[in-house]
Order: sequence, then structure tokens, then C-alpha cells
Amino acid sequence: MDVLASLAQGFEVAFTPTNLLFVLIGVTLGQLIGALPGIGPSAGMALLLPVTFGLEPVTALVMLAGIMYGGMYGGTLTSVLVNVPGEAASVMTAVDGNQLARKGRAGQALAVAAIGSFIAGVGAVIALVFLTPALSAFALRFSAPEYFLLALLGITATASLGTGSPVKAMIGAVLGLMIALVGTDPIQGTERLTFGSLDLMEGIDFLPVAIGIFGIAEIFASMEEPQNMQPVKTRLKDMWLTAKDWAECRMAILRGGLIGFVIGLMPGAGPTVASLLAYVVEKKASRHPERFGHGALDGVAAAESANNSAAHGAMVPMLALGIPGSASTAVLLAALVLLGIRPGPMLLTEQADLVWGLIASMFIGNVILLIMNLPMAPLFASVLRIPYSYLVPGILIISLVGAYAVSLSLFNVGLTLAFGVIGYLMIRADIPRAPLVLAVVLAQLMETSLRQSLMLSEGSLSIFVERPLSAVLALLVIGSLALPVVNVLLARRAARRAGVDRLVSHSSD
Amino acid sequence: MKATNIVVSLVLFALSAGVLLGTWHLPYWADFAPGSAFAPFWVGFAGVVLAVVLLVGTLSEHDGTPHSFPDRRGLMRVGGVAVGLFALLAAIPLIGFIPAGILFCLYLLLGVERRPLLPTIATTVIVIGLVYGVFVAWLGIALPRGAFGV
Repeated sequence: MDVLASLAQGFEVAFTPTNLLFVLIGVTLGQLIGALPGIGPSAGMALLLPVTFGLEPVTALVMLAGIMYGGMYGGTLTSVLVNVPGEAASVMTAVDGNQLARKGRAGQALAVAAIGSFIAGVGAVIALVFLTPALSAFALRFSAPEYFLLALLGITATASLGTGSPVKAMIGAVLGLMIALVGTDPIQGTERLTFGSLDLMEGIDFLPVAIGIFGIAEIFASMEEPQNMQPVKTRLKDMWLTAKDWAECRMAILRGGLIGFVIGLMPGAGPTVASLLAYVVEKKASRHPERFGHGALDGVAAAESANNSAAHGAMVPMLALGIPGSASTAVLLAALVLLGIRPGPMLLTEQADLVWGLIASMFIGNVILLIMNLPMAPLFASVLRIPYSYLVPGILIISLVGAYAVSLSLFNVGLTLAFGVIGYLMIRADIPRAPLVLAVVLAQLMETSLRQSLMLSEGSLSIFVERPLSAVLALLVIGSLALPVVNVLLARRAARRAGVDRLVSHSSD
Repeated sequence: MKATNIVVSLVLFALSAGVLLGTWHLPYWADFAPGSAFAPFWVGFAGVVLAVVLLVGTLSEHDGTPHSFPDRRGLMRVGGVAVGLFALLAAIPLIGFIPAGILFCLYLLLGVERRPLLPTIATTVIVIGLVYGVFVAWLGIALPRGAFGV
């Protein structure tokens, strides 16, 4: 009952005119950012973070969170109508969504994506309401060793659960840790890796890294080829779902939502992995798997429900533990710190209005997004007709003003550009950028808790396995490091077996 | 991708060596607790290990995937934007943020994107108006002013 009373209090906060306005602004921006290829929700949140400096913390957070989950809805538009995913989590939607659009069923694809995202999103927020306080209360038992292991798990899990090469994901994380080492040692106050520069003495701010690595780098990548989008036209009357469509998709929405929420809870996995996994599971569960890849409505429903559910699920570890599970929640966590709020298990008790106001705003935001994506979908689709090149100068200049606004220094603007170039080279070298940003956010917590732990144990590593909780976390860290190695060994074994089978079949011929 | 991976591993190796050498003078262990060089040592060590793993893995690959860099035209477009951004950074202290931003918009749309003049001017007005309205007028951020006093 305490939870429901707190939620009611959260609705009081969320329903104030200012907060309602900023929920609307956040989800509209998220919808647009998600729809535009070349810039994802994390980049959009980083770019717009400086705009929140003049706002109340709860207002700022409801807007930034709105961009995060609004991006999940918006990505569907470009995926279905242009066959270009607006953001990475919509890749699986593009596979079947665009095939449906080519068959004249764009409206149904958009409608099922919107309804699936809404049901899964609201379901995930309900789970968030009950899970966050429980996890937060449990986390009060954590001490320095558990915090170190949890932050380490956040980084190692990104490598093992991500979609690309685990070695390259770990390289991204190590680069992030290197960036975070620059500045003053958090415990002894000694200068490290500043090379005599006064600008580097306080370390490298998070925003220039995030704006450069996500925002500027994505613009560079999108500039490689002129973007000429030819969206498929859709009308409001095409968006009605038949009873057969609904019967086909309802279990896909349920399965996708559940998978998405669980994946969202895991550190490092995020909406992209969730939509991929939900799509694969749905293909296996479907009565007509042959339709997948050629226009399966349930494939769109599963992928879209999963990515929205995962975006909400990733808020649980961020709010309860202060550990971000995805790039977007890393930006949200950095926003909390910039707004002068200390993240961690005490957040729920120390900033109850803020946390519950934020959670309540997600219910409201999902309702607004449902309206935007059902009756107003054709209107948002028309935005895709604006040539992308007219948006680029605005995005770049706002990025640079944002970087400048953090410390009113042109040094930060230079850093942002440098990180933009680094981020672009990372894209081209297939090095994932999310682990870098996660590592920058988690580095200080990791280093302080590691050093505090070793101080307590006088240098003995046994402190990390003495308590059952830390032992479990240590096992999970080892497991997440071992998983990619096991996967490689299994793949090699399978390849060797396939080779032997081929030889046997050739010899029998 | 093979050449790209080799370059990545060499750069990572150099950066890791830089971290190790740059913190060599700091204490690894101070009396009864880890010192300032403790974390840099392990981060640098992890970097070296990953660089070696990537290098060995790449060299032992038989059929590598092709690298994904853009063609010459694509590189020119990306280079054009990058040059424009660094020129903008250099111009800000001289002429101020707003005038430098106007010049950047015009350069990008007319020079790099080859867009028509009128929509270019309209876009520039909207972008600069938005920056001025949100950051200067609403948030009160004092953007650098240059020779024109703007």
C-alpha cells in the first residue's frame, strides 16, 4: 500500500502544469529524434541535457526520460516507412515493418507497433513501481565490495551481452576508464594524466564525451552519403487492426514485453538486444515462421513491445542502485549528478517526490505517445519528408552550445569535437560506444569502492567473496567474462563438427 | 577489417602504455591502501592485454570481413563537416559564437550539402534564432562575443 500511496503522490507531482508540459515536450522530441535516422535517443538526451539546467530536477528528468522512451516509439516510423531504422533498437522492426508497408499494410504495422509499445511500456512501468522500492531496500545492505562488483558487472555484462565483438566492447570500456582517469585522484587528490593542463585538472566532463561520442559521431556517419528518404505514404483509415490481426499479435506483445523487461533489467543488454531476442523467440513460437522477414505483423509487435519494455526496465537498476544498464540510463544518471542529486539506494527515500514523479510521468508519457502514434502517426510521418541536410547544422550547433554551457569554456567545445572524431572512428572500426560512456559514468564509483574495499581488507582480495552477496556478484562478473569465451569455443566446435559431417557425406558420395 | 583491427590494437597499446608511463611516478600502494597509480595500472594492464588479444585474433583470421570505411566522396563530405567544425571553434574567440554559427550554417548547407540559397538562409535564421532564444534569452548563458559584440 505504501507503494501505491507513493505513486499517487508521484501523480500529484507529474500532473503539475509545468511537469505535464515537459513530459509532452520530452516525448515529442523523443518521437522526432527516434524517427530521424542518424541520431538516437542517447545522443538526443545528451544534446538536450544542457537545456535542463534552468529547470527543477523533476521537470528536467521527466523530459529526458520522455526522450528516452519516446525514441523507442519514434524509431518505428522510419523503420516501417523508409526501411531505415531511426535508432538501433528498431532494426528488427524494419525487417518486417517495411515489407508490410510495401504490401500496403504500413498503417497496420504502425498501429500494432504503437499498441504493443504502449501495453509493454505501461506493463513495464507497473513492474518498475513494485520492483524499484524492493531492490532499493535490498541494496541498503550493499557496501564497498558489492558496489565495486556491481559497477564492474555493468561493464563486463555490456561486453558479453552486447551484439558485437566482446573484445571490442571491452576495448570501448577500457577507453572510457582511461578518459575517467584524467584529472584528480578521487581519494588522495593527486593529479593524474593531466600533462600540466589546468583545464584537465578537474577531469573530463561527461557531457563533452557523450555529446561527441553519440551526437557528433552519428552526424559524421550520416554525412557519408546524402540522405534521400522516400517514405511510404500512410493514411489514418489504414491503421485499423482487424480481429484477426489482434489475435495474431496479442501473445507476441505479451512475450515481447516480458522479454524486454527482463533484458532491460540486465546491465549492458538494453533495447537493441531485447528486440532482437524477442523477434527470434517470436519466430520460434509463431504458427507461421515462414512469414518472418517477409512481413510478419507479430514480428513487428514482438520487437517493438520488447524495445519499449526494455527502455523502462533499464530504469530499475538506475533508480534503485544508481547503476545504469544502458547508454540512455547512463545519460539520465549523469543528468541526476549534474542536477546535484546523489544517485544510489537512498535516492528513493531522500528524493521520493522526484523518483515517484518520474515514474508517474512515464504512465502519462506512454498515453501521450499512444495518441501521437495512432491518430497522429501520418502527421509525424510527414516530418520525414524534411531533407535531413537541413537538420544537420542545427544539431551540430546545439551540440556545441550544450558542451560550452557545461562550464562556459571553449576547451569543452574542443573536447566535444575531438570525441566526435573518436566516436566516428569507433563506428567505422566496429567498436561499440555504449560501453565507453557507461565506463565514464561508472569509473569513479568503481575506483573509490575498489580502493575502499582493499583499504578495509588491508589489501586482501578475499573481501570480494567473504559475504554471500559479494560472492554471487563476483561469480556473475566471472560468468560474464567467461560467456564470450564459451560462445567462441562452442562456435568453433560446431564449425569443426559441420566440417567433419561434410567430409563424411562427401566420402559416402 | 584486418588492417583496421591492427591499427586499433596498436593505438590501444600506445594509449595503455601512455597511461602506465604517465602515472609511473605516482604511488601504487600508499602505507595501508591502494595509491593513485593503482587504478591506472590495472586499466593500462587491461588495455595492453586487450590490444594483444585483438592483434593475435586478427592475425590468425583467415577470411576477414571487408572494412567499412566510406568511399572518397563520403570521406570528403565527412572531412568537410569536420573542417567546418574545427574552423568554427577557431573563429568563436575572434568573431563570437553567433556570427561564427551563422557562417558555419551557410558553409555546411551551401558548400558541403549544395543546397539552394533561400532554404539555406531560412534554416540558418531558424537555427540561430533557436540557439539565441533557448540558450541566451531563456537560460541566460553568456555565449562568447567577438569583434562584432554579438
